[in-house]
Amino acid sequence: MNDISPPDAAASRFGHAQTLDILAASEPGAAKAFAETLIDELGAIEVLASRTGIVMLPYVDTVQNTAFHLGEVLVSEAHIRLTGRNIEGYGAVVGRDLEHSMAMAIVDACITAGIGIKAIEAFLASEHHRQRKIDETRLRKVESTRVRMETF
Amino acid sequence: MAYVATRGGERAIEQSERLYREDLGRIDKTRVDAIAKSMPYLLDRVMGEASLYAPELAALALAQSGGDLYEAVLLLRAYRTTQPRLAIAEPVRQKDLFTVRRISAAFKDIPGGQILGPTLDYSHRLLNIDVLNGADFVPEPVEQAAEPAPATQPSLADWQKAQGLIADFQSEPVPLEEIPDVTREPLLFPASRAHKLQSLARADTGGTLALGYSTMRGYGNVHPTVNELRLAEAPVRIRHPRGTIFSAGRVRISQAEIISKAKGLQLGFSATFGWNEVKVIAAASLDLASTQEKPHPASNEEFVLYHTEPVEASGFCIHFKLPHYVTFQSSLDAIRKVKTDKPANKAAVPQADAARQAELEKAMS
Repeated sequence: MNDISPPDAAASRFGHAQTLDILAASEPGAAKAFAETLIDELGAIEVLASRTGIVMLPYVDTVQNTAFHLGEVLVSEAHIRLTGRNIEGYGAVVGRDLEHSMAMAIVDACITAGIGIKAIEAFLASEHHRQRKIDETRLRKVESTRVRMETF
Repeated sequence: MAYVATRGGERAIEQSERLYREDLGRIDKTRVDAIAKSMPYLLDRVMGEASLYAPELAALALAQSGGDLYEAVLLLRAYRTTQPRLAIAEPVRQKDLFTVRRISAAFKDIPGGQILGPTLDYSHRLLNIDVLNGADFVPEPVEQAAEPAPATQPSLADWQKAQGLIADFQSEPVPLEEIPDVTREPLLFPASRAHKLQSLARADTGGTLALGYSTMRGYGNVHPTVNELRLAEAPVRIRHPRGTIFSAGRVRISQAEIISKAKGLQLGFSATFGWNEVKVIAAASLDLASTQEKPHPASNEEFVLYHTEPVEASGFCIHFKLPHYVTFQSSLDAIRKVKTDKPANKAAVPQADAARQAELEKAMS
């Protein structure tokens, strides 16, 4: 994935792309509760967008390498700007949870502004661990279905 | 043909809708959540045919329609038109797929191995009647492996191409905004491959199965075997305003390659939203059949793509139950006129027969 973090991006352990990945996949309730703890430090916020919409998902066929549209995915997105400062935050998650995407945008803006970085790192680390555990458990179950067919 | 405007019946129409909804009863969040939790494969089918990935809304559509799939698909397609298109995601490639099932029926030893994943393929299909008698069915837990499976699996087709077993098609990268889109431009024939695969991705499962099955049974030149079947989750990768590409979440997808050895080894392909193996196997068979000689309709892409579009097909079918009074009235008028003219016709027929007989004899002499 690309990682075009600005020099002032402060969530050092995770790059910008991974930070956004983790925030989008985070447990919605936890993300909202965490963003609540940061919002007062941000000051006035201008909401540029808080809406649902659709994202077209292209797919590459494995036979002829043709890119085609698989269909559209409903997403919610939030785009905010810190009033009077040239700092923006953005969030987008699959689904229609506007509060989740707004929480993501708030954390993104905090990172750019250098606000609450230690707490953000801790939240990201915790969420990252939780997400990896879920995937790992799933993949252990998947591995147990591996089959070696024999012909005779 | 023209239709007469009708009026009257407003009260009956309103009451008929009330009767429909009254029969379904109250719809609340609990019911929608229960549908979403207990019927993921049904949601997958609706989302695939609606071409909109939104599990919560698919569950709501099923609740509102009482499980009528065509109504549910129509509701989702209609909702889709109310939403702005925010972006085009990065194209999903096979190497990106968080894969939970990946098998090949054609090749036993494939790179990465065979993983059955969640399936009933080798299970007895028996109703558990005890549940109705109060004994809950509690599934046995999966015995987890010591090590997790790899999150992604290698491509079988790439290995076959490298071995020179199948043709390796090179294609130029297409800018995202230039990928053909049947929701914004008409489906014309011969269809581009992008249009064909998009149409099959949103096709009716039942229609796809019927036509695909006909090619499998011999109404076509394809004798398919599953080269590779995958169930997976695909990342929806979009661009942050600063340019960073990130995943906004994952969506369930299924993908199938069908192989035929009718003319060397050839592959057909299909993918769709959700886990719907029947659909992608049938659709990949139709993709492959469409590249062959066309002795049967199921090998004809125009026939296949037009007749498996679920909203258009179901809408056209059920529109025949709506008033067609002009057509019917004119038919009645014609029948009545024929009956009125019957005596005159009876007198005229012998004369006409005699004239034809005379013409015939003249020609033979």
